[in-house]
Amino acid sequence: MIGMAFVLTYCVFALGRIFFQLPGADRKRFLVSLVTPKTMLKNVRDIFCDCLLHVKIWKRNKLLGYMHSSIAFGWFMLIVVGHIEVLLYTPHRVKLFYYPIFFRYFVAEDEHTMKGEVLFFLMDFFLLVVLSGIALAMIKRLRSRLFGMRRTTRPSLLDMVGLYSLWAIFPLRLLAESFTANISGGSFLTRSINHLLTPLLGDQASVLPWWWAYSCALGIFFVVLPFTRYMHIPSEILLIPLRNAGIKIRNARKGLAKTQVYSCPGCGLCIDACPMSVQKANTRDTTVYLNRQIRRGNEKRIEEISDKCLLCGKCTAVCPVGVEGDRLRIAQRSVRRYGINPDYTSIDTSPLTVDSRGKVLYYAGCMTALTPSIKKAMESLLRKAGIDYELMDKDGGICCGRPMWMAGRIDQARQMMKKNTEIILSSGADTLLLTCPICYRIFKEKYRLDGIRIVHHTEFIEGLVSSGRLALGAEDRTFVYHDPCELGRGCGIYEQPRNVLRKVGSLVEAEKNRRESICCGGSVGSLTLGFDKRRVITQNALDNLTVASPDVIVTACPLCLDTFRRYADRKVEDIAETVDRNTRTQTRTS
Amino acid sequence: MKQNIVIVGGGIAGLEAAKRLLRLGYRPIIVEKQDRLGGHVAQWHCLFPDMTPAGEVVSGLIRDTAEANIFLETEISFMNRLRDGYNIMLSNGISVIARAVLFTTGFSLFDAAKKEEYGYGVYDRVITNGDLEHWFNTGSDKRVDGGEIRAMGFVHCVGSRDEKARNSQCSKVCCITAVKQAIEMKKKFPDAAVYCFYMDLRMFGKKFEDFYISAQRDYGIRFIRGRVSEVSEDIDGRVVVKAEDTLAGKPVKVKLDLLVLMSGMVCGRDTESLASMLRLPVDTDGFFKSRNNVSAVVQSPLEGIFYAGACTGPKTIPETLAEADTAALEIVSFLYRS
Repeated sequence: MIGMAFVLTYCVFALGRIFFQLPGADRKRFLVSLVTPKTMLKNVRDIFCDCLLHVKIWKRNKLLGYMHSSIAFGWFMLIVVGHIEVLLYTPHRVKLFYYPIFFRYFVAEDEHTMKGEVLFFLMDFFLLVVLSGIALAMIKRLRSRLFGMRRTTRPSLLDMVGLYSLWAIFPLRLLAESFTANISGGSFLTRSINHLLTPLLGDQASVLPWWWAYSCALGIFFVVLPFTRYMHIPSEILLIPLRNAGIKIRNARKGLAKTQVYSCPGCGLCIDACPMSVQKANTRDTTVYLNRQIRRGNEKRIEEISDKCLLCGKCTAVCPVGVEGDRLRIAQRSVRRYGINPDYTSIDTSPLTVDSRGKVLYYAGCMTALTPSIKKAMESLLRKAGIDYELMDKDGGICCGRPMWMAGRIDQARQMMKKNTEIILSSGADTLLLTCPICYRIFKEKYRLDGIRIVHHTEFIEGLVSSGRLALGAEDRTFVYHDPCELGRGCGIYEQPRNVLRKVGSLVEAEKNRRESICCGGSVGSLTLGFDKRRVITQNALDNLTVASPDVIVTACPLCLDTFRRYADRKVEDIAETVDRNTRTQTRTS
Repeated sequence: MKQNIVIVGGGIAGLEAAKRLLRLGYRPIIVEKQDRLGGHVAQWHCLFPDMTPAGEVVSGLIRDTAEANIFLETEISFMNRLRDGYNIMLSNGISVIARAVLFTTGFSLFDAAKKEEYGYGVYDRVITNGDLEHWFNTGSDKRVDGGEIRAMGFVHCVGSRDEKARNSQCSKVCCITAVKQAIEMKKKFPDAAVYCFYMDLRMFGKKFEDFYISAQRDYGIRFIRGRVSEVSEDIDGRVVVKAEDTLAGKPVKVKLDLLVLMSGMVCGRDTESLASMLRLPVDTDGFFKSRNNVSAVVQSPLEGIFYAGACTGPKTIPETLAEADTAALEIVSFLYRS
C-alpha cells in the first residue's frame, strides 16, 4: 500500500518534471500528438506491444521474449482479472485499489457462491504464466548463455533488491493464495497446493504470515522501483508517445534524454551488440552503463563513456525500448565547453563555387580524398555513363560537418553546413553526389537543400545500372558486402549496393549484416580509442565478414575501406571500383 | 674444431660476416632465398654521402666470400634447438647441424600502396624510392620515362613514424636517401623543379648535413616542411600535390611529373615465422629483439643465435657492416668458449 502510493506520486512528479523540461515547441507537439487519433492509436498499440507483449524482444529471441511477456503480460492480466472479480462481487470496494491485490484475503467465498470458476481459473493460469517467467529469469541470471546472451549487465545493489523482491512476489502470492484456497476459492493450482499443504500445516494461523510476506515483497519492490532499473516500466509508457510525437533529444540530461535514460531496462542486449565489447575492458562503456552513470550523475564516467564510443548506432538498433545510445552520447559531448572554438564564418565561398548548372555535383569529401582509388573509379563511371559532372572540392573544400557534429561541437558543424549550403545552392547543380556515407548522412539529415537530389554513390550506381546507362559484365568471384554504419543504420541503405553486386558476381552475406552489421573500428565517432584498441575491433569485424569465405570484401565507405585494407587477408575495395572494373562497354544515351 | 656456422640471408650483412669468418678460418654456410646475393643494396645505384656505386660494394663482398658454402634460392624449412646447437632443415632437402646461427634477414620496404592517399598503384606517375633506384640502374620504367620531367617531388616518411600505417619507428636512412636521389635527379634533369616534403630532416651521419646543405645551395632543391595532405591526378596525367608549408604558414599546391614516395623500412617478411621456430622474441617494432638494445645488439636471448644488420631495426650500410663484423667476432669467441 505504502509502496504503491509512493511509486505513483513519484511517477506523477517525474512526469511533470520531464514534461516541463521539454522545449516549448516540443511540448506543444507532444500534446497535439496525444490527441491526434492516428498517433493516439499508435501509442496505444506500441505500449501494448512493447510494454506488455514485448514484441521486439520476441523477434530477437523467443525465450527472452517469453520471459518478459510472461511476467509483464501475466501480471497485467492478473491485475485486470483481479479487478473484474472485485467489480463483479464487491463493487463497492472498487475504489480501494489495493483491494483486488489482496482480494483473496478479504473475501471468504468459494466458486459455488461466486460462480466464478472461469475467473479463478484465469487467475491461476496467469499466475502460472508469471511463475514460469520468473523461473526463466532465475535461470537466465545463472546461465545467460542459454538465452543467447554472451554477457549480461552486472546489477547494482538496489537492482538486486528490486530483482529479488520481484522474484519473491509471485511465489509468495501463490503460497498465500494456496493457504486461503479452501476459504476464498481457487483453481487448479492454488487448490491442489492447498490440498498438499493442509495436512502439513493445517493450522489456519500460518495464513497470515504468508499474506504478510507477499505484501511486504510487493511493498519493497514498489518502494525501490524508482531507484532501480525497474523504473523502465513506467518510463517506457512515457517514452513511446514522446517518440511517436517525433521529439528529438535537445538537452543532454533533460526531457527526452532523461526519459530514455530511465527507460533503460538494463537488459544488456547492447553489451553483446557493441563492437568494443570484443575487449572485455570495454563492456563497461556500453549504453546500459552510460544510462546507469547518467542516473547516478557520475560526470567523470559519463564523459569517458561518451567519448570512447564509435557512434556506430548498433546499440540503438538492437535496443528493445528504443534508447538512442549514439544520439545520447552526442548530446553528452555537446555540453562540454572548449577553450578554443574555431570560427568558420569568415570563409569566402565564392572561389570554391563551381558553375554546375543542370549537372551532377560530386563532393568527394576528405575521406575520399585520402582514398583516391574510389574517386578515380567513380569519375570513370560517371564518364562511362555519359554524365555531366563537376567536382565540388577539387581545389579544397569545406568539411561536411559530420565529424564536428559527432564530437558534439554542433555550432561549428552548423557553420560549415552553412558554407557548404551556400556553395551548393549557388552552383546550380540539380544532384549532389557523395561517395562517403559520413558526409551523406549529414547532408541527408541536417542540410536544407531544397530541390537538389542528395544521393550516395551506391544509390546512384544502382540507378545508372537499372536505367541501362551502365552495362555490367560479370566476374567469377564471390563478394561480401559490408554495411557501413552511417549508410546502413544511419540512412537505411542496404539493398541498392547488394542489387548491383549480384549483377557482377555472386554475393554472400556476413554473419551479422544489414542493421546488425559490425563497425569496422575506424569510425571518426570515437574521440579516445587508440589504434591498438581499434585493431581488435577491426579484426573482429573482418572475422564476421569472412565467414562465408568471399574472395573480395566490398564496402561503400572510404573510411571502412581504409581500415579494413590495413588488416584484411583478402582484397577489399569500394563498390565503385568493383563496378568500374566490370563495366566494359560504354553506353551513351543522350 | 671447425664447427658449422649458418648465416641466414645473403645481403651485405651476411656477406660481410661471412668474409670476416672466412678470414678467421671458418667456412660459413650462407642461405639466401633469392637467386642472387647482395640483397637490397645490389639493386641500388649510388650510396650517400660520396656517391659510391652500390654495385662496387656488393661485388667486392661477393668476391671476398667466394669460398663460403652458398645456397641460393633456399629457405629455412624449419629449425629446432639441440642440446648444444641447432638443427636446420633447408628447403633444398639438406639438413645442417650448426653450433651458431647468424640471422642477417634484413628488412622489407614498406608497401606504399597501403598509404593509398599518396596514390601509389592508383596514379601512373607515383613511384617509390626503391623504384627510382631501380630506374637509375636499369633506365627503364614506364612511369618515369613517360616524358620530360619539369617538376618532381619526394614525400618523406611514407610508412615510417606513422602509427596509422602500423610503423611508428623512424627508418633512419630515407631523409638522406631522398637528398641523394633528389641530387641525382637534378643532375639528370637540371631544369626540373625538385621538391622534398618533409616533417623534419634527420641528418645524423657523417657528412649528411653537408650533403643536405649542398642539395639546397648547389642544386636548388626545395625543401618544404609539411606533410602532404592530398595527391590527385590531373586530366593530363600529372600528379597534383597539396601540402602545407608550415614554415611559411601557407598551403601549397604543385603539379608534378613524378612523385617519389620514400618508403620506410619495416621488419623482414620472414621475421615472424623464423622467430616462432625458435621462440625468439620480437620487439615492439616487429624486428628481432636483441638481448640488450644498448650493450648486446648482435646477441639474441638464445645461446648461439646472433643478429646483424637491419633485422633488428633500420640501419645505414656502414652500421650494418660494422655490426656484421661484431657478430662474426662474437660467434668466434662463442665457439671458443664452448
